[in-house]
Amino acid sequence: MKQDMYDLAAWGIKEAKAAGADACRIGIGGERTVEISYRDRKPENIKEASTKGLSLEIFVNGRYSTMSTSDLRKDALKDFIGRAVAQTKLLAEDPFRSLPDPKYYRGRQELDLGQVDPDYKTLSPDERHAFVKAIEEGCLAEGGDKVISVTAGSTDGYSESLLMASNGFDGYTEATYFVGSAEMTGKDEGDRRPAEYGVAVAFRRKDLPKPEMIGIDAARRTLALFGAKKFKTETLPVIIENRVVARFGGGFLQAMFGRGIQQKQSFLADKKGQKVASDKLTLIDDPFIKGALGSRLFDSDGFAAKKRVMIDAGVLKEFYVDWYYSRKLSWEPTTGSPSTLIIPPWKRSVAEIMKDLGRGILITGFIGGNSNSTTGDTSIGIVGQLFENGVPIQAVSEMNIADNHLKIWQRLVEVANDPYPYSSQRFPSLVFKDVVVSGV
Amino acid sequence: MTTISRRSFLKTGATAAAVSVAAPALNKGWYGLAGADAGADVQGYFEREFGISDAVCRKILAEGLAKGGDYADLYFEHTISNYLILEDGKVNRAYSDIALGVGIRTVKGDQVGYGFTQELAEKSMLAAAATAATIAAGAAKGPARNFAQLKTADYYPLKTLFTAVPIERKLPLVQTVNDRCFALSPLVVKVNAQFHDQQKRILVVTSDGVKAEDLQPRTYLAAGVVAEKNGKRERAGWNFGGRRDFSYFTPAIIDEIAKTAVNRTLVLFDAVQPPAGEMPVVLGPGVTGVLLHEAIGHGLEADFNRKKISTYCTMIGKKVAEPFVTIVDDGTQPNLLGSINVDDEGTPGQKTVLVDKGILTSYIHDKISAKFYGVKPTGNGRRQSYQHYPIPRMRNTYMEAGPATPEDVIKAAGKGIYVQDVSNGEVKIGEGDFAFFVSQGRMIENGKLDAPIKDVNIMGNGPKMLANTTMVAGDFQFNQGGTGACGKDGQAAPCGFGQPTILVKSLTVGGTRS
Repeated sequence: MKQDMYDLAAWGIKEAKAAGADACRIGIGGERTVEISYRDRKPENIKEASTKGLSLEIFVNGRYSTMSTSDLRKDALKDFIGRAVAQTKLLAEDPFRSLPDPKYYRGRQELDLGQVDPDYKTLSPDERHAFVKAIEEGCLAEGGDKVISVTAGSTDGYSESLLMASNGFDGYTEATYFVGSAEMTGKDEGDRRPAEYGVAVAFRRKDLPKPEMIGIDAARRTLALFGAKKFKTETLPVIIENRVVARFGGGFLQAMFGRGIQQKQSFLADKKGQKVASDKLTLIDDPFIKGALGSRLFDSDGFAAKKRVMIDAGVLKEFYVDWYYSRKLSWEPTTGSPSTLIIPPWKRSVAEIMKDLGRGILITGFIGGNSNSTTGDTSIGIVGQLFENGVPIQAVSEMNIADNHLKIWQRLVEVANDPYPYSSQRFPSLVFKDVVVSGV
Repeated sequence: MTTISRRSFLKTGATAAAVSVAAPALNKGWYGLAGADAGADVQGYFEREFGISDAVCRKILAEGLAKGGDYADLYFEHTISNYLILEDGKVNRAYSDIALGVGIRTVKGDQVGYGFTQELAEKSMLAAAATAATIAAGAAKGPARNFAQLKTADYYPLKTLFTAVPIERKLPLVQTVNDRCFALSPLVVKVNAQFHDQQKRILVVTSDGVKAEDLQPRTYLAAGVVAEKNGKRERAGWNFGGRRDFSYFTPAIIDEIAKTAVNRTLVLFDAVQPPAGEMPVVLGPGVTGVLLHEAIGHGLEADFNRKKISTYCTMIGKKVAEPFVTIVDDGTQPNLLGSINVDDEGTPGQKTVLVDKGILTSYIHDKISAKFYGVKPTGNGRRQSYQHYPIPRMRNTYMEAGPATPEDVIKAAGKGIYVQDVSNGEVKIGEGDFAFFVSQGRMIENGKLDAPIKDVNIMGNGPKMLANTTMVAGDFQFNQGGTGACGKDGQAAPCGFGQPTILVKSLTVGGTRS
């Protein structure tokens, strides 16, 4: 398939140029995926699918468009490309649109990023079913008589893609992936039926935890929500658990992109080189970590991947600026999107930190909420545990935190030792002081 | 990934143009469809264009039932989506996508096997059907010998297909809304505008002998505005759309979009920090119906109830609200985003009363849940595309008008929050806890509207919120937007909502002033 993809992309570029395009970039991809879920100890859903597609970016007379197709027959593609080039000419001219300067393609690392499981093709239907059953059994056993419903699931797949540009770039990637998950709903007081999930994701199956542990995690998280209440509005220290830091941090991250800066929608636009968080925050974009979910050797512009320190001890060092917005901003480009994001872990566990904090909230989930990328204002509902001297004393629901990203990150006081492995944002749990938690 | 029980409503602003490598598409797009389309005639489209005859359908369904499934259905889809995008004063970006494929579902009890293919060749479809069939393990069954064409109403009649409108007529819409925004205020510094049109053609064929076809349009024109005043920036936007055709976008509609987007941005310069804590909340008419979507709509989707994982699963027939509260999920409202002539498993679009004068009367059903409960399907079996199997989904969910006046409702609140616009929400089905994000609102002081507020999350519990709805006004409005999408189990579906002004006597407001 790999050589077929290269041959088709090269042919497509030739056809686009013959149709009048000044330049073009083609992406070709294919994926096969299998999903299985169990409930009540029997399959609930089984789904299998293969998909394929081709995308085309056209640059003609200073104009630009993108389009996609799954019909990869050459006669159909030839017609597709010809009409695409002709119609692109009807759009307004955009002097900033072009393929990147090829100098940014150079310097690509040649590394094995550990994204392909060599045993994927031998995975049998029986093994898939056994994996899901084990997740379900783990959850049922841990949830005991509190269980109303458990849904356990597995998704696995293989994908490959090629990106080729008419000015000399080509890059091929392939990956396998495995997901195990469980969701438990339990019987609480009255009509409340708390539910939580456990999940694990990896490129290689051996990097997943034992399946029963995924189920046990879901059950423990669900049971921890029993008896949840809200209490009086209070200013408290909060710990945001590792697996939900990315959701909260996304409100900050969204202001670091070139488009938002150029379109005057970023509260960080004029903050480069300034202290935007406490010195406890260092944020590193590292594309080369083997097996990490965001690892890559090149980005969607074809830029060779580089490790970058985005925030250094609270000082904003870099933005995510792709080729197009670098030209609009007259800035040097970096990359248009994050790879694997790291906040370097410290030494103490969440449990150790909780003991020293006195009274506070461990936030294990968010609900609703949003963040304004133009002003930095944010407000979001929380789920978690109120604790005193390290001991959880009350599950929390219907409460909320609100702040401004330029202020709350200045109150980051500690980083835990538990980077979350099942995301491209490998963040540890974070501790903030003096957060208004609104409730009754 | 398997289900996560938090369901979310996303009112998307502008869809970014992007390369979509894995997206299914064909060789048609925004760039030249005039004359390339089969026309507005809905019936027989897939047979004319792709040779999908009754005989082919029967063969595929037979394969889907080859291992003893109770039921099987086919969902053919051909969707053409186009986007024109303006940034920095010019329409200089376009994106198109075409989805073509068929999904084959086999049902055994409440178990579902599913396969799909992007190739409408018999061999590929039979292979997908064989995958779906594996959910069962028994003797083969046969599909119906004949398929009866389902006759449906038309809740979104089209004068012209979008594919017959040349790009030269679409471009001025986007340019005009941009120019209007800049003309309205010198404080406007950036405008992002976007025009979207979509034609989704579907054919549903079921093993029990139903054949249904539909052409579902979707469109919007949206403007996002950034304004600057005394070194401070604010951003807001507005859109109109729904299941409409090109003739909807009159100069008056374009003006209204621009005026609303600019006015909603400028008012934010006067916004104050909202308080934190429990207080009365008044929801203004229209878009605030997102509250119902989260607080009750998702919880009444019958798949959650047959699994007993919804907080509402024991409440049918019980009083859940005051007698002046009636809540409806309705696929029959003309041109609204959530309207459907037929759902994605061949049940006609219809109106379903969920709460009738305070009594919980119905869940939202697909065929599987309807069979479980022994009731008729309510026409809510919907899906994102042929790549997904149908599940119970809302259409247009709203609360009917009540006896109060908006002024009385605000006066009765005394001191609290008035919600004018909501951008997104989320619910935890089992607990009934929900949140919605208020992008625009006002303080209520001494029973009157006061300073503007913005960007505040409001939390509550669905059953408690219903019980605490103490006043409903007569100023009902439907939201007329075209960008709303509801997320559930990894599937997005267009939906609508509406509401009159209502008073909820207590919700948690997530402000910053303690």
